[in-house]
Amino acid sequence: MFFLSYLLGELRSRKRQAIVMATGLAMGIGFVITVTALSAGVRSAQGKVLASLYGVGTDISVTTPYTPTGFKQITPEQQGQQLDTLTDTTLGTLKASSVRTISGLPHVAAAAGALILTEIKSTIPAANAPPPTSFQPPVQIIVVGVDVRHLGLGPFAAAQVITGKAFAATQADGHVTVVDSAYAASHHIRVGSTVDITGEPFTVIGLVRQAQASNPPDLYIPLSRAQALSKLAGEVDTVYVQAATAAAVDTVTSEISRKLPSATVNNSATLARGVTGSLKTTGELASRLGTWLAVLVLLMAFAVASLLTLAAVARRGREFGTLKALGWRSRRISAQLMGETIATGIVGAASGIALGMGGAYAAAKSAPSLSAIVQTGNSGKGGFGGSLGAGGGFFRATLGGSVQTVANPTASHTVHLPFTAPVTVGTIVLAIVLAVAGALLAGSVGGWQISRLRPAVALASAE
Amino acid sequence: MTGETMAVGGLRDPEAPAPLYTLTGVTKTFYKGRRTINAVRDLNLVIPAGDWLAVQGRTGHGKTTLLQILGGLDRPDSGAVLFGGEDIAQMREAHLTRMRAKSIGFIFQTFNLVRTLSAAGNVEAALIPLGIRASERRRRVSSALENVGLADRARHLPSELSGGQQQRVAIARALVKEPSVVLADEPTGSLDEHTSDEIVTLLEKLWRSLNLTLVIVTHDTRVARHAQRIGTMTKGRLTINAVNGHR
Repeated sequence: MFFLSYLLGELRSRKRQAIVMATGLAMGIGFVITVTALSAGVRSAQGKVLASLYGVGTDISVTTPYTPTGFKQITPEQQGQQLDTLTDTTLGTLKASSVRTISGLPHVAAAAGALILTEIKSTIPAANAPPPTSFQPPVQIIVVGVDVRHLGLGPFAAAQVITGKAFAATQADGHVTVVDSAYAASHHIRVGSTVDITGEPFTVIGLVRQAQASNPPDLYIPLSRAQALSKLAGEVDTVYVQAATAAAVDTVTSEISRKLPSATVNNSATLARGVTGSLKTTGELASRLGTWLAVLVLLMAFAVASLLTLAAVARRGREFGTLKALGWRSRRISAQLMGETIATGIVGAASGIALGMGGAYAAAKSAPSLSAIVQTGNSGKGGFGGSLGAGGGFFRATLGGSVQTVANPTASHTVHLPFTAPVTVGTIVLAIVLAVAGALLAGSVGGWQISRLRPAVALASAE
Repeated sequence: MTGETMAVGGLRDPEAPAPLYTLTGVTKTFYKGRRTINAVRDLNLVIPAGDWLAVQGRTGHGKTTLLQILGGLDRPDSGAVLFGGEDIAQMREAHLTRMRAKSIGFIFQTFNLVRTLSAAGNVEAALIPLGIRASERRRRVSSALENVGLADRARHLPSELSGGQQQRVAIARALVKEPSVVLADEPTGSLDEHTSDEIVTLLEKLWRSLNLTLVIVTHDTRVARHAQRIGTMTKGRLTINAVNGHR
């Protein structure tokens, strides 16, 4: 009771000093919270991009560089033609036996192959037809062949079934498909509908929802069906690998590279290097400049708090000298002072949390959305698999003339992500710990000065 | 009777009270730039329990230094300061602090009250280091404030009290722990004549009723006249030049 009434009395009487100290701590802590929230937002966005590249649960992806096939000339015929092809336009292919090879490596928990294909539907006008007044672009549908025994690994892992059901292990050869809900909505597809893929009917067994930022495929079909339709029997273009432990990822990466020297082996670290755009810039800004600025501001706040406490001890020399004369031990006087600084620190923490949350909210509201440019094609080492891997092929058309299909050798894909700055309970706890640490530091500095105070000298000092 | 050496070196009167303080060859020197200030020089002094000693002297002649040495607030450069048989000049700081908490009461010229604590809080501050229970502390604080006539001012802050009242609070603070000795440094130095008389009268009353040992440093001869013995500090040397002998 005495401790409290002394403490409150001092805080009341030295309001200005307490406010300056609390404000300093609040600014430092607010800054730390804002920067931490921004970093968390960027990390979360990076995580989304990486997850979209991989699929949830994948540690390593294995692809091979795409070999451009050049132009394929299609000569118009007397009658108009309907073209419907399913091809791999972004990646080279690996033998399906590679999946077994990888599965057998030490520290590999699971491996699954997939084919990321693009169905291109277009109409070639008759040779003698008058030139069309406008060019009708071909329709492109992204179709992914997935290993139905390993749905938790690879492009299907991030898909959330909202209607119907996912593939069963017995449907490895079935003419069944699972459709992205956005695609289904735009094409009036429901569970039970039939979808044609290169003229073959597939029954829709489920609709899935996925993050649109991940540029999800339109249709999933069993891998063997995808291989048959694309005439890539016994081949896959991506192998998704799950390591037994996080620590084993690098070892497994090296081992796969050794076993498949011509393959491109990516884990999250190599993958992250291929992501550019404002997401990367913001991430670097938050992790470098932001963190250092936050540390600097916090250190300044701590320094201000400590200096103010030192000044207070000097100003209260006679008071502390009197307490020493009354028989108060230095430790007890320091504890009283520490109580004052901790109380100030708590006020600083509360204000800092409010300030930080406000800062994080304002930053998230005012910042533009982040973009990540993800290389999805064949560009040296940057051959990524995953659901983003499709969409590289396009048609070049000449009005009234021939149509050329071109495989896009170096495709990239821009993902737009809303910017968020989440303030977590952990961040708030960190803020409180920092404020109390700052207060303890200031109190300790004051306590150290008190312990050096000689009572006779302190009593002679001016109030 | 002049010079304290006789009390130290001579045979003690078996009827005389036991000495509370025995100072032998106490010297304290300060250095201010090139100047050497001999604040206390080879001082020998016996202060019996229950004694009231007034120390007079000009400013800068070592009165306050002597008081601080007696109170364990400062240590002599040489010599022994026996307090109840223990040499406080050699005592470890923690032991000295405990001794101050338990046995020595201080009264200062400028009252030295904690301005954010009430009168009761200031008095209670003296009991905090003794580890006394809160209820007992409250009882003793009330009693101490009543003894100095301030029972009705317990909740007042120092700023709400007059100079005389503040010094009464300081006296209550010095006495609340029932010390062996009260050391007062110019207790009336900041007060007007009338208030000064009131304070000295109060101190005399308390000295008599509580069987206190009181050492007062004062410029004021009217205050010193109330003491049992009056000494004068001159250039660090103490001479006892008047003994009233009454109690």
